[in-house]
Amino acid sequence: MSLIEVRHLCKEFKIAKRQEGLTGALRSLFHRQYTTKIAVNDISFSIGTGEMVGYIGPNGAGKSTTIKMLTGILVPSSGEIRVNGLIPYKERRRNARQIGVVFGQRTQLWWDLPTIESFELLKQIFQIPPDRYRQNMALFNEILDLDEFLQTPVRQLSLGQRMRADIAAALLHDPKILFLDEPTIGLDVVAKERMRSFIREINKNRGVTVILTTHDMSDIEKLCQRMILIDKGQVMYDGELTKIKETFGKTRILIVDFEENIDDFSLDGVEVIKQEGNRRWLKFNREVHTASQLISQISEKYEIKDISIQDPEIEVLIRNIYEHNYTLDQVFTDKTRI
Amino acid sequence: MMKTFKMYLEFTRKSFQRSAAYRVDSWSRIIGNIMSLGIWGCIWFALYHGHDSVENISFQSMLSYILISMALQGIHNAGTPLWEIQYRVRTGDIAFEMLRPYDYPLRMLFTDLGSISFHFVTAILPLYIVIFALFQPDIPLSASQWGLFILSAALGYLIRYSLELTFGLFTFWLIETGGVEDVFYFSISLFSGSVVPLWFFPDWLERLASLLPFQGIYFIPNAIFIGELSGQEIWPALLNQVIWLIICYGLLRFVWNKASMKIVVQGG
Repeated sequence: MSLIEVRHLCKEFKIAKRQEGLTGALRSLFHRQYTTKIAVNDISFSIGTGEMVGYIGPNGAGKSTTIKMLTGILVPSSGEIRVNGLIPYKERRRNARQIGVVFGQRTQLWWDLPTIESFELLKQIFQIPPDRYRQNMALFNEILDLDEFLQTPVRQLSLGQRMRADIAAALLHDPKILFLDEPTIGLDVVAKERMRSFIREINKNRGVTVILTTHDMSDIEKLCQRMILIDKGQVMYDGELTKIKETFGKTRILIVDFEENIDDFSLDGVEVIKQEGNRRWLKFNREVHTASQLISQISEKYEIKDISIQDPEIEVLIRNIYEHNYTLDQVFTDKTRI
Repeated sequence: MMKTFKMYLEFTRKSFQRSAAYRVDSWSRIIGNIMSLGIWGCIWFALYHGHDSVENISFQSMLSYILISMALQGIHNAGTPLWEIQYRVRTGDIAFEMLRPYDYPLRMLFTDLGSISFHFVTAILPLYIVIFALFQPDIPLSASQWGLFILSAALGYLIRYSLELTFGLFTFWLIETGGVEDVFYFSISLFSGSVVPLWFFPDWLERLASLLPFQGIYFIPNAIFIGELSGQEIWPALLNQVIWLIICYGLLRFVWNKASMKIVVQGG
């Protein structure tokens, strides 16, 4: 059996409808109308030990809601969840011991106390043996440089420091599974890279299973072999990242620097998607045209200074999926692995 | 068992430390406490004007009552379970409390004990030693009276804690709880005997108050402190507190179990 099993998971929220105006406000005092919002709609997947899975989708797709059900915070409306054999919301306390959670937009540290105090508190909460605590702190310190701010109150930390502290806090009790809800949100490039290498380290060397949600596709590209893509509460793709590139990435982009400015550039099967000075970004389908064909056609008509070909970026691919509402069933034969 | 206790105690320590980080807060509470003490002292002085005793309660007793009541209120007000749970639900930080291998209501209690003990040691205790020395109120005359008073005050605190957290938990359903809060604070200030002892209530109101849990919060410990409740009368009063504590705590557990299944996390 897999470490995490999700079967036909659904979550609905009842939202009180606000009625307009003063009379509406008064009316809603006595008679409330509710609308039902379906945040997660029949999601199924399973995750094995040691996997690192990117759980992605646009805002409001149901990512965080799923994470909150997996961690036991929210109670599902229907469907089943097993995390290492436990039903999270029924056995919250036992589940808490086997998972670590980071919410990028919140902190689990005590705001007003020096950072080290929160770690000491977690040591007591999870009853971490002193030796293990020391080892973990030493390791986290090595990669995350916690030392430089351990004595600083959490409210005075920079976002990058706070995130480092938060992820260390989530891992102090040696959880089997780590849930990361937007762990790199708002971080600069250096801080992001640091977070990523730490996550990689934890996954590789400690075998911690990692599930992360993010909007930053480079997080996914650099960290995950597998990606679960959801939209409107449903799984749209579940599989390897390379596969989505292969199957979906029929598009190539040719970047051409012309010698002079060309106003009326056009070529069959090529779409200008961007221009900047004498540079044009040309989109084409690599199954219809080859790059060399296009280059020779262009160079026949115009003077070319420089040329390069861009691979499809995962971000662009995913945008395509959302915007054009491609049903992935058609695109992928192996839509889900379940 | 011992380890679990140590874990909860760690929250007391941390919250003691945290209170130390906010000294201004401590001072402003003290100023508020002195002000309401002054106001109620003056009111009772005016009400007693020209009378040695009203309904067999001497002015000296009444002064003692209001002093010990204000001291207890100063202690209670350092713990803020209602405010804290509302804050956590509104911000969504309540999520983290669900991700811990501890019992949230219990850990809140121990956290409150930390800020209360800080506030007690640094503010309430020194302040009331001075005030008691100045006004010479009636105080317990025997060790056993002191002991019973402290026991009763502790029971009163736990009753208030259970009730307040229960009211706070309604935030899970209502998000905005201004109205619920008002009902709670109004009931506490009237029926607990915080500033007007129950024996001055009209009969019907006194009867109503005696049927509610609030009298156990201030009225019973205050009355034991000034010696109005003494001898054999103390035992039924303490029993009343114990029964109400069991009921209120049971209610808290019940509401907590319901609330934690109904959680909605604000802000994604």
